[in-house]
Amino acid sequence: MTHSPSAQTPMVPIRHRLYWLPLMGNAMALLLSVLVVLPAAAFALFALSSIFDSLLVRLPAFEADAFGRATDNQQLYLTLSRILFALRAIIIAVTLSFGYYALASWLNFAGAGVFTRNLQARNRVIEAIQPWIFVGPAMVLLCLFLIFPTIETLRLSFEADVGYSFENYRAIVASSQFWIAIRNSVMWLAVVPTACVILGLVIAVLTDSVRWGVIAKSFVFVPLAISFVGAAVIWRNIYASGGIEPTDITPGFQLGLLNALLGRSADDGLFFYEVKFWGNFFMMTILIWIQTGFAMVIFSAALRGVPEDTIEAARIEGANPFQIFMRVQIPQIFSTVVVVWTTITILVLKVFDIPYALTANKDDKLLLATYMRIVQDRFRDEHQAAAIAIVLMLTVIPIMAFNVWRMRQEQA
Amino acid sequence: MSKVKKHGRLTPLKLLAHIAVLSVVFLWVVPFIGLATTSVRPQKDANETGFWRAFTSMERGHAIRTQGGPEGGTTLIEGNIFDDIRAAQEIDFVQSNERSPNALILREMPIEGEVTGVLVIERLPDPDNPDGTIRQQVIKQPGEAFEVKKGQFTYQADGSYQWAFEEPYSGKGKKLSVFIQQRPQFGWNSYVQVLTNRQVPNSLISSFIVTIPATIIPIMIAAFAAYAFAWMTFPGRDWIFVIVVALLVVPLQLAFLPVLTWFTQAASLATWLNEWLTDCEASNSCKVSSANFATLWISHTAFGLPLAIYLLRNYIGNLPREVLESARIDGASHLQTFMRIILPLSVPALASFAIFQFLWVWNDLLVALYLGPDGETDRVLPRIIQSQLGTFKSQLHLLNASAVISMIVPLIVFLSLQRYFVRGLLAGSVKGG
Repeated sequence: MTHSPSAQTPMVPIRHRLYWLPLMGNAMALLLSVLVVLPAAAFALFALSSIFDSLLVRLPAFEADAFGRATDNQQLYLTLSRILFALRAIIIAVTLSFGYYALASWLNFAGAGVFTRNLQARNRVIEAIQPWIFVGPAMVLLCLFLIFPTIETLRLSFEADVGYSFENYRAIVASSQFWIAIRNSVMWLAVVPTACVILGLVIAVLTDSVRWGVIAKSFVFVPLAISFVGAAVIWRNIYASGGIEPTDITPGFQLGLLNALLGRSADDGLFFYEVKFWGNFFMMTILIWIQTGFAMVIFSAALRGVPEDTIEAARIEGANPFQIFMRVQIPQIFSTVVVVWTTITILVLKVFDIPYALTANKDDKLLLATYMRIVQDRFRDEHQAAAIAIVLMLTVIPIMAFNVWRMRQEQA
Repeated sequence: MSKVKKHGRLTPLKLLAHIAVLSVVFLWVVPFIGLATTSVRPQKDANETGFWRAFTSMERGHAIRTQGGPEGGTTLIEGNIFDDIRAAQEIDFVQSNERSPNALILREMPIEGEVTGVLVIERLPDPDNPDGTIRQQVIKQPGEAFEVKKGQFTYQADGSYQWAFEEPYSGKGKKLSVFIQQRPQFGWNSYVQVLTNRQVPNSLISSFIVTIPATIIPIMIAAFAAYAFAWMTFPGRDWIFVIVVALLVVPLQLAFLPVLTWFTQAASLATWLNEWLTDCEASNSCKVSSANFATLWISHTAFGLPLAIYLLRNYIGNLPREVLESARIDGASHLQTFMRIILPLSVPALASFAIFQFLWVWNDLLVALYLGPDGETDRVLPRIIQSQLGTFKSQLHLLNASAVISMIVPLIVFLSLQRYFVRGLLAGSVKGG
């Protein structure tokens, strides 16, 4: 019989030798067999399923045989083989990852019996190893793709031609592009989260006060589903300039909506996101348009959680709707406001797609993430790119600390 | 506080709220309308006029060439301006197909409407110089007779024209600029063209190939880890979870440089293994690329794990303790408890993370750019659209159609599972959600 770990049933102490030796033995055996079996299984499954690929390769020849003519379905076969390859990989990956959990759990159970005959020690060994089987893959992936790379990037950023120094940091600080990226990042950080929070709050309150608010909300919410690149295409129709210049006898046409609203004709229109400096703000609008829906949904839920009697009390005291909003509702959802603010701040710090897609990294539109891309892509300098990544990390650390603190508060 | 009072009679304040909400909806919907409209317009219109013009008829200029006189000559040539436009389109169509035989180029949509004017250059007496003349552009109205190449040219609003000569005429036709009040024109041409041009369909398949495993695998891995964090005891559990929460906000840029190096090393190892184990030398296919679908799957899996573990642990940790304990007391192993009790109960949380991850991976440009495959057929949709933004500057109808195609899948997922998405958002941001 096994015990629930959380039930904390008092156990008769068992001798350490009885527990530690089987524990270590079982853990080692488990690790080794998993390390051998999983890659072997992956390889075997791929080898076995490659038969489908060769079938597909023969299909054109077969078809030519059967119908007595060569077909020109080359493209179709290519597409089919790509889909088949993907299906194969999906099935194998899912089978393997589930197979790992089943196999490791079974090995743990069976191995414990081999390493000790003491029933109580056996159960304790199983209980001690089982959590690591469950968190193991996640830990390995997080270490390999987030923790070790962070350390390695830190090392890269200090690595110089000879030994380690601040050389790379000195180099990026000396470049004017870095300071433009910092300036732009500060502007984005000041504008986007603020605008999203204020707009989100206002829209949440407004939509809650009209009967068709749910429908209105879903319209504001939809941009969350689309890609930043897609949003860039959408807003190109608004910000673009071009069309047909007017002549003495024919009218002109303007391509972009904003230029048309401002009454600019085709020859004096502006590509708004390309305007020096101010173009940044037009790109921010795109991100605000996307993210306001997020703020709105969260605030709308939080506002619904504000106790009605506090609002009612304020109303009896004679407060007007605006006072109720500012003095009663906002203070009660303040923690939610902070959370939304930090979430959008993080997003803004990492924003990359919009300036990259729209302006191809013009110097005056650089942000930290896009600056890193051009340092790596255009200047081929890994070490300076690493230094920029570390600067990006430093800007995130306060929010990271805040998140951890908040999580600890909630757990307490 | 009753509903009646909340949605009571229409006060001025209430009216203001209605107007405000209406204008917000308008602001959020107009960009989408612009996208959808541009994608179904003819190329010429999409490139030269704003999308809001698509809904009303507008006067556009066209260059035509009228039919010439037949051999032997005739004193009356009859034709139709719309037929001449179609003939010009046909020539365009044949020429562009010859220029790029691999791309499928469709005929432009036929133009419908009324001819409102024909531009001709006339010699008029010069007001400053009584003996001389000046050349001036004049617009001739329908029904008005005017001279073209020594013939009398008359046309009607429906496009039909008569060109009468004193003596039999056998010369060429004449290039004319005509103005047509066009009726709104929509069609699926751009979609047909984008979908048959291989680039977008290939990347659509690539996007599916990348997104589906990159959504399923992290869910499984994270669900097991979340169960362990919520219901099992092991040394360092709380600290490891703190690290997971901290990793939630780590910029992916930190990971790219080292991971790229490791992938390159792994790829050369795989190439070596391939040479050693298989007969790839025969087909010269030993080289394993360092940027392929597998690298994207595993990277997206790892990058999605912190959020997945965080969301699922919050949910699984809030499941009733009694259900779990009774299962454990009945002798179920952890694996059995997880499979039979936890998984079915956490479907809402799994669904909400699945939507997050699906949308994130489908819409991702950053990771695909750094770690994704770069081959012509293997690039994912956001990368294609990003490159089209730079190259399709005079094919805006195609650019917008590609963007619409890239949005259809996430929009379907999003709208059909919106409930779960909102729940996930709340769980991630509001305490106890």
